[in-house]
Amino acid sequence: MEDFISLEHIVKVYPPSLLAVDNVSVGFRKGEIHSIVGENGAGKSTLMKLLYGLIPFDSGTVKMNGAPVRFHKPGDAIAMGIGMVHQEIELIPQYTVWENVVLGAEPVRGLGGTLDTTGAIELVRRKIDEFQFNLDPSAQVERISVAARQKVEILKLLYRNVSVLILDEPTAVLTPQEIPQLFAELKRLREAGTTILFISHRLDEVLELSDRITVMRKGKKIATVAASDTDKGALAQMMVGRQVIFTSKRTPHRRGDCVFEAKGLCVARRDGLKLLDDVSFSVHAGEIVGIAGVEGNGQFELVNSIMGLRTPSSGSIKVNGREICGLPILERRRLISFVPQDRARMGASLAASILDNAIMTHHRLEPSFSAWRGLVLDYRHARAFTDELVRRFSVQASSRQSLFRSLSGGNQQKLILGREFLLSTPFFLMDQPTRGLDVGSSEYVHGEILSMREADRAVLLISADLEELFLIADRILVMHRGQIVADLTTERTTIQEVGRYMLEGKRTA
Amino acid sequence: MTRRILSGVLGVVIAFVVGALIMLIEGFEPLATYGALAQFSLGGIGPLATTLKNSVPLVLTGLSAAIAFASGPVNLGQPGQLVFGALAATLGGLYISLPPMLEIPLLLLFAIAGGALWSGLAGLLKQAFDMSEFIVTLMLNMIADFFTAWAIAYPFMDRKAFSPMTPPIAQSGWMPDIGPLSSSVLLMLAAVAVMWFVFQRWRAGYEWRITGQNSLFARLGGCDVRGNFMAVMLVTGALAGLAGGLVVMGGPHRFIKGLGANYAWDGIMIAIMANNGLIETLIYGVFVAAIQTGALGMELITNVPSEIAQVLQAVLVLVIVATREYAVVVFDRLAARHQAKERTT
Repeated sequence: MEDFISLEHIVKVYPPSLLAVDNVSVGFRKGEIHSIVGENGAGKSTLMKLLYGLIPFDSGTVKMNGAPVRFHKPGDAIAMGIGMVHQEIELIPQYTVWENVVLGAEPVRGLGGTLDTTGAIELVRRKIDEFQFNLDPSAQVERISVAARQKVEILKLLYRNVSVLILDEPTAVLTPQEIPQLFAELKRLREAGTTILFISHRLDEVLELSDRITVMRKGKKIATVAASDTDKGALAQMMVGRQVIFTSKRTPHRRGDCVFEAKGLCVARRDGLKLLDDVSFSVHAGEIVGIAGVEGNGQFELVNSIMGLRTPSSGSIKVNGREICGLPILERRRLISFVPQDRARMGASLAASILDNAIMTHHRLEPSFSAWRGLVLDYRHARAFTDELVRRFSVQASSRQSLFRSLSGGNQQKLILGREFLLSTPFFLMDQPTRGLDVGSSEYVHGEILSMREADRAVLLISADLEELFLIADRILVMHRGQIVADLTTERTTIQEVGRYMLEGKRTA
Repeated sequence: MTRRILSGVLGVVIAFVVGALIMLIEGFEPLATYGALAQFSLGGIGPLATTLKNSVPLVLTGLSAAIAFASGPVNLGQPGQLVFGALAATLGGLYISLPPMLEIPLLLLFAIAGGALWSGLAGLLKQAFDMSEFIVTLMLNMIADFFTAWAIAYPFMDRKAFSPMTPPIAQSGWMPDIGPLSSSVLLMLAAVAVMWFVFQRWRAGYEWRITGQNSLFARLGGCDVRGNFMAVMLVTGALAGLAGGLVVMGGPHRFIKGLGANYAWDGIMIAIMANNGLIETLIYGVFVAAIQTGALGMELITNVPSEIAQVLQAVLVLVIVATREYAVVVFDRLAARHQAKERTT
């Protein structure tokens, strides 16, 4: 079968020297679902953005039906029938579905060019029916689910008569129950002749959905294979470059005394809405407690209450029996190590050196970092400490003076993890510690979390990745609308059960 | 590092070329003008000493702005802090007379306290009422301006003078000269060295730097963000106040109308040119002082008005900042293109 679109010898270097796409050639056929898989940073999103004209490439050719084309902006690509749905949904929440869909390409009538409202709604309704999308064109976008918003994004492109759809990790924002529905819709689109390029790093999904799969690693294309000719193990090996074990490495470990205890924790918004509603749970030494939940169900407020960025309206938080609500952050840090969700905003200073990032908090808590009664920092000690941290947590860095920004995501996280690990606190709060990390780095982080459990520290792990929770957590709590709706033992539950609690809360479960 | 020097030098060269073009359009001789400029600012011990002395208020207020901007607080109150420091030193010198060994440190302390008082007020307003220090320091500049103008026109006016000014301060409070060099230059160098040490080696300096880059990270890391904010406000106000004290004690030895001139605004500009680097602030401060000093002499022997120096100064700021930012883009793009070529051949 002829390639409908072919990319030939594409190279993209992010200045100054990050080789994001390294001489990649790949062809896509008309009417296939073609998945691009790879770890984070493998270049799969970049490759698609190059095709879409969102970012320019440095060398290579793009051909459509054998003729070279060059898109300088997404508008060029859309004009040729190629559309892309990004990871973050970019709709106007206050507008209705149809308004969002026609925005930028509105049907008008008359000389003055007034918006043809009825015509537009009719056009959108016809598209919805054509693809059986089950959407109400007059619904306001902020009132519909994330899955429905994603459909609106796709509809926007179909409305513009796009015949090639690029989807960048569309399942990342969906719950387990919503994914099959999306896949059914994508398969229907394929039957209608649409070519779908699907970016993902979830191998199960990719195998279920695609006709062919292209694997990328470190900017290079490793292979393009038919989905029927491969399996999860083979794909993972191509992605990572070595064998990956998917089973839990958790060994039985004795649970110690209670270290962390939240009791009746409430956080209310000014209008009275309870963001945290009577949250009570405990974490024991040598135990990993996971918190599952769709984002925005109170995890953020829980983290902020524990760290002291937000004062709960009532309730108490105790670590090692000491009430920490009301304590200054520095006092909390004697008891709590913290790996935040957002490395760049909360976990590090991108513009500072590796050393400056490595010694944060230690510089206050450990007397060995100070000279002259705490006035001067002992940089000789700081250097030795940084070298030790970099060595022990195998951070790949050119020097301890290089900027934190210059590290890869995985190495940034290793540095933060190592810094917090070395704080020797009894309680460890981890908020999405593997978000944005590749398989190899995630494995490393999981290993480190498990070794904290071995060291009898209490770990609270907040994660949107259920596989991760099932891999390393001893217990899984589910948060829904600010409440803990389930307290499950990992061995005695299933991903489906947790997913149901995440979606529906307590009542129907 | 070499890149930073390269882009800095490149910026200066481009600025001089642009300045020359402007002079050509105006019908002046650029080479002769630049020659005169250099001769009166750098040509010999005397001009050099004058340049250095003139750089004192520029470098100190520049240092103040650089430390503030690099640590987070947007302290734009150097002009007000400078005149307050100057007034405090003047009042001390009017009413206290001690031997120079005591008088000079005492008056400098007055100047430092005067500046810190004025910036501390802005800091307090921020802490108590969460008022943006950006707007408060700017407004306090006006108040400081009119307050000092009133002070030298009414309560502390020299009755014998024809324009508003205070009487001269005690002679023991005059900054002595060491040969041709004013001792305020040594003080300025000492201030730069001390502030560099505080900024790069003190625990507080570490926290200031990190807070300036990412205050949420610093806060979560256990840094005393509120305390550091106040400390930075006080220290940077003190530096601007010191500049004001030295202007009085090294110059007219009294507070005369318009004493603050444009020093502090030039200093803020120098901090921006220096990208908030402390050593860079010293270098650019002396450089700008050289242009300003040379311009006065240039006017004497050429028919180029000294205002051309202000044009040159403005061009310098724009070109240096633009060159620095653009050089990064260009260097990066060249490196990327080079690597892309390597991969495909």
